[in-house]
Amino acid sequence: MPFEPVLMRHVNVPNSTSIDVYKRAGGYEGACKALKMTPDELVELVKKANLRGRGGAGFPAGMKWSFLPKERTVTYLCVNADESEPPTFCNRITIETDPHMLLEGILIAGYATRTTVAYIYMRGEFTEQFHILQRAVDEAYAAGYFGKNILGSGYDLECYIHRGAGAYVCGEETGLIESLEGKRGWPRIKPPFPAVEGAFRKPTVVNNVETLACLPHILTRGLEWWLSIGTENSKGPKMYCVSGPVNRPGCYEAPLGISVRELIYGDDFARGLRGGKKVKAVFPGGLSMGVIRGDLFPRNPAGTVDPKADYDELDCRLDFDDVRNYDLLGLGTAALVVIDEDTDIRDVLVNVARFYSHESCGQCTQCREGTAWMYKIAQRIRAGAGRLYDLDLLQEVTQNMGMMPGLSICGLPDGAAWPIRTLVYKFRREFEAHIARQAPDAVMTYARRINPAAYELPVLHGRAVIDEGGTFQTPVDLMSKRVTLGPAREVVAAAD
Amino acid sequence: MPQIIIDGRSVECRPGIPVLQAAIEAGLAVPHYCYHPGLSIVASCRLCLMEMKMPHPKTQESVWAPKLFPSCQTPVRDGLEVRFNSPAVRQNQKHVMEYYLLNHPLDCPVCDKAGECYLQDYAERHGSASSRMIEEKTKNPKKDIGPHTLLYQDRCVLCTRCVRFCDEVAGDAELAVVNRGGRGEIDVFPGRPLDNALQGNVVDLCPVGALLDKDFLFKQRAWLLRSTPSVSPADSRGQTIWIDHNDGRVWRIRPRYNEKVNEWWISDEARFGWKHVHREDRLRQPRVRQGGQWRRQTWETLPALLRTQLQEAARTDDGARVAAVLSPMLACEEAWLLATFVRGLAPRATLAIGPVPLVGQDQSFPKGFIIKAEKCPNRRGIEAILRQLGGATATFDELCRKAVEGEFAAAYVYGGYPESWVSPAAAEALSRVGFLVVHDLFESLLTQAAAAVIPAASWVEREGCFMNCDGLVQPFERALAPLDGVKAEGQLFSELAGRPGLYRAAKVREAMAETMPEFRDVFTPQPLPEHAH
Repeated sequence: MPFEPVLMRHVNVPNSTSIDVYKRAGGYEGACKALKMTPDELVELVKKANLRGRGGAGFPAGMKWSFLPKERTVTYLCVNADESEPPTFCNRITIETDPHMLLEGILIAGYATRTTVAYIYMRGEFTEQFHILQRAVDEAYAAGYFGKNILGSGYDLECYIHRGAGAYVCGEETGLIESLEGKRGWPRIKPPFPAVEGAFRKPTVVNNVETLACLPHILTRGLEWWLSIGTENSKGPKMYCVSGPVNRPGCYEAPLGISVRELIYGDDFARGLRGGKKVKAVFPGGLSMGVIRGDLFPRNPAGTVDPKADYDELDCRLDFDDVRNYDLLGLGTAALVVIDEDTDIRDVLVNVARFYSHESCGQCTQCREGTAWMYKIAQRIRAGAGRLYDLDLLQEVTQNMGMMPGLSICGLPDGAAWPIRTLVYKFRREFEAHIARQAPDAVMTYARRINPAAYELPVLHGRAVIDEGGTFQTPVDLMSKRVTLGPAREVVAAAD
Repeated sequence: MPQIIIDGRSVECRPGIPVLQAAIEAGLAVPHYCYHPGLSIVASCRLCLMEMKMPHPKTQESVWAPKLFPSCQTPVRDGLEVRFNSPAVRQNQKHVMEYYLLNHPLDCPVCDKAGECYLQDYAERHGSASSRMIEEKTKNPKKDIGPHTLLYQDRCVLCTRCVRFCDEVAGDAELAVVNRGGRGEIDVFPGRPLDNALQGNVVDLCPVGALLDKDFLFKQRAWLLRSTPSVSPADSRGQTIWIDHNDGRVWRIRPRYNEKVNEWWISDEARFGWKHVHREDRLRQPRVRQGGQWRRQTWETLPALLRTQLQEAARTDDGARVAAVLSPMLACEEAWLLATFVRGLAPRATLAIGPVPLVGQDQSFPKGFIIKAEKCPNRRGIEAILRQLGGATATFDELCRKAVEGEFAAAYVYGGYPESWVSPAAAEALSRVGFLVVHDLFESLLTQAAAAVIPAASWVEREGCFMNCDGLVQPFERALAPLDGVKAEGQLFSELAGRPGLYRAAKVREAMAETMPEFRDVFTPQPLPEHAH
C-alpha cells in the first residue's frame, strides 16, 4: 500500500490556509469526534496510539497528559512552535500550508487535558507564518472552534499566539514557559515539572506542533490506520527535513523508520547529492543528536578501507529506537543535514561549536563556559593550530559538560556535547591528518601571540606527531606532571 | 527533626532546609556560588552537586542513583543518604572549577576580594594550578553601576546572587543579566544606577571580586583586617555588624548574621555610618573654663573636678538643681553608670533623654527588612534605665525650657551623635545653666557655651549593649582604642561613680541585671561557618 501523506497533504494546494479548504478536506471532523468523547477516553486513545512527541525527545504524549494532577482548575497548553533546531523547518511548513490542522490538534489536546488557555509559543523569526496562523486563529474563533461552549459541548478554550525573541533555549519546555511569562528564557530547575507547576505556576502541558498536528488524523482515520504506519515502537508519519548539497532539499513526509539512505537517494525524496558527490557525514536528527558517517570506514579501526567489508552508517533508520545503534542521542527533529565529501570536517566542527556557544543560555557553568571553550578550540583547529591533545580535550569537555545526567538544568549541554563528541570520535583520523599537516610551530606561534609566556606551560606539547605505524602521542601524560622546559624552539624540536 | 546521612555521618537538621545548608551547618565545606540561604534557589553554579541514594526502580532497593543532584535544590527528608566524597562528585567539582577559571583574569594581586574570595578558596581546594585553555580569554568591561558600586565583569561567575538580591530583598530589581551564554554580563538598565538603600549588600554577596565597593576599593587587603562584632548605631533596629579595622582605622562594615534582626543584610546607612569616627575635627582634649579662659584639663584631675562642681550644685534643694542628659547614642551600661552617679550626688536630679533623631518614615522591604526612621541605637535602653531609676525625668525640650528659667545650677549633657544635633535655641537655653558639662564628639554651639568640655569616644571605641526598638539587648565590642587623648565613656563614668579598676561592660551589666532583668541575657547571634552565606 503506497504511503499517503496526511501531514503534508495541503502543500501546494491553493488557498490551503483558509478554513474552507481545510473543512472541505474533512477538517475539524476529528475535533467533533473528540468532543463527543470524554477527556479520559481521549487520553486513553492517544496512549494506545503510542503517539510520541515529535519535538525531539520522543516522550509519549498521552503519558505526558496523564501526569497532570487530578484536581485542578486551570490548565495551560503550550504549543511549542519555537522550532529552532538548526536544519529543521517542518513546523514552518505545517503553519504555512495547513494552520488549521494545528489548531484542530490544539482543540483536541486541549479538550483531552481540560485546558483552559492554549498558548502557541512561536519562534521570533517567524513573521509571515505568524500572520498566517493569526488569521487562522481568527477564523477558528469565528467558526466557533475556540471560545466559549465550543460546538455546543460546554467546553471553553482560548487560544493565543505568543511570539518569542529568537532563542534556541526557549524551545526547551521550561525555558519556553519562562519566556511566555515574560521573563528571561532560562530553563527552570525541576522538580516541579510543568505538568504540576508550569506556566504561571499552574499545571501545564507543552506539546510540539507536529505532535498536535497528528491528533486530528488519529481521530478521523482511526487507531488501526495509525498503528499500521511506522515501526514497532514508533508509530505514525513524520515530516523529515533534508538540507545540504542534495538535488532536492526540502521537507518530506514518510512513515517513521525510513532510512537515511532512502531520504537522501530516494526518488521521492532528495534524489542524491548535487554533481554526484559522495556523502561524508549526516546529522540525521537536527544538530544535537550527533553525526553519522556517510563515507566508508572500516569496522575495525585498525584495518584498511575495503569497499566490500567496510560500511557507512546511512542505513540508520529514523525512528525512536534504531538511531541509538548509531551513537545518536535520539531521533531529534528528524532533520537531516547532509555534508558532502568536499567539506572540511573542521569547518563542520566550527559551525556546530559556534551555534551552541551562541545559544547556551548561560545559567549552568558547564554549558556556558564549555560551549564557549569548545568554540575557541574549534576555531583554533580550523586556523591550523590544532594539537592532537585538543581532540582528547574536546572529548573530555563534552564528557564533563553534560554526558553525566544531572550536571545541568536542561538538556542543552547534552545536545551541544553530543554532536561534537561524535564528530571528533567518528572523524578523528581526519582531524589527525589535518593536524599532522600543520606547520611545526603553528601551535606555538598561536599561543605566544596570545600569551608571550605560553611556552613555559607543558600543555603546549600538543603538536601532532604521527609516526610510521600510524600511532600518535598525545600530551595527556604531560598534563599530570610539571615538566621543566627550555625555550620555545627547543620544545618544538623535542616534540619532533 | 529529620536525620540525614552525609558521607556516612548521621546529621540532624532543621526540617525543610536544602541538603547543602544541612551539610554546611554540619561543618562540611561544600563548594557553592549561587546558593544563598536568604535568596531563591537557582541551582545554576552546578558546583554543589552530590550523589544520592534512591530506591532502584525495579528492586526498590536503596542504591546510589547514577546521576548527580544539586544539593541546594534537594530538601532534606528523614533517612536521606547523600555523599559529597565520591569520585563522581569530586570530578564534577574539579571540572566546574576549571570552567570557572578559564576566562577569569587571575588578577588576585589587585583584587579587593582576594583573601575572602570563594573562587580563590575553591580553586585552591578543587582546582588545577594551570589552565588548559591556550586561546584568548574573554574580556569583559569594568562598569560603574552606581554611586557606591563598581562591577568588574571579568571576575564575575554569573551566580546571579546580586540580581536576585536586588529583585527579592531590596525589591528594586536594578540589576539583570544581559546577553546570553558565555557573553552574559551583569548590568544595570540605562539611566537606572544601582542605588537602593540596601545596595551595599551585593558587594558582600558577591562570592568573587566582581562587585566592589568604591569606598573600600584598593584600601586594604582582606587578610590584614580584623573583624570585631558590633551593633550599628545607624538606626534603632540594632543591625549587627562586623567592624573591619586595621592600623587604628575602620575600613569597612559588613553585616553580621542575626536571625532576629537583620539576617544577612545591613542597610547602607549602617554600612557607611562610620565616617564620623575618623573626622579630623573630633574633640581630643578635656577643657574647663576658668575666668573666661579655656584651660586644658587632664583625665586624672577631671573626675575630681566634675564631682566637686556637681556636689556644689547639689547642695541646695536636695540636688533638684542638677540635671543630666543621656543621649540615646550611649550604651546601656554607660547610661546607667552616669545616671546612678548623678543621682548619687543629687538624689532629686532631673534626668532627661537626649533628642531622638527621626528621619522620614520606617522603610520596609519585600522580604521583611526594615530601616527604622529613628536614627539612634538605644532610645529604649535609656528609657528603661530612666524608668527603673524613677525620680524626676524630663524630655530634652522640657529640660531646655526649665534651663531657660535658670532652674539648673549644673547639668551634664552627653551628645555623641554622629552629626551636629543641638539647635541654637537649645544651646542658648542650656547656656543659662550655671555649670554646664558637655561630653560630645564634635565642637558645637553647646561646647562654646559649656563650662567643661569632655571629648567623647565613638561607638567603635566603646563597648556595651544597645536595646533595639523591639527590646532586644545586643552587646557590641570595642574595635579600636579611643582616639589619642580621649577616654572611653565607660571608664570615665566608672571613675566618677567610684568603681575602681578597668571598666568591663559585662560586669556593669551584671550589676544592672540585679534590678533590671532584661539585661540578664543579652542576645549574641551565632557566627556562621565559613562560606555559609
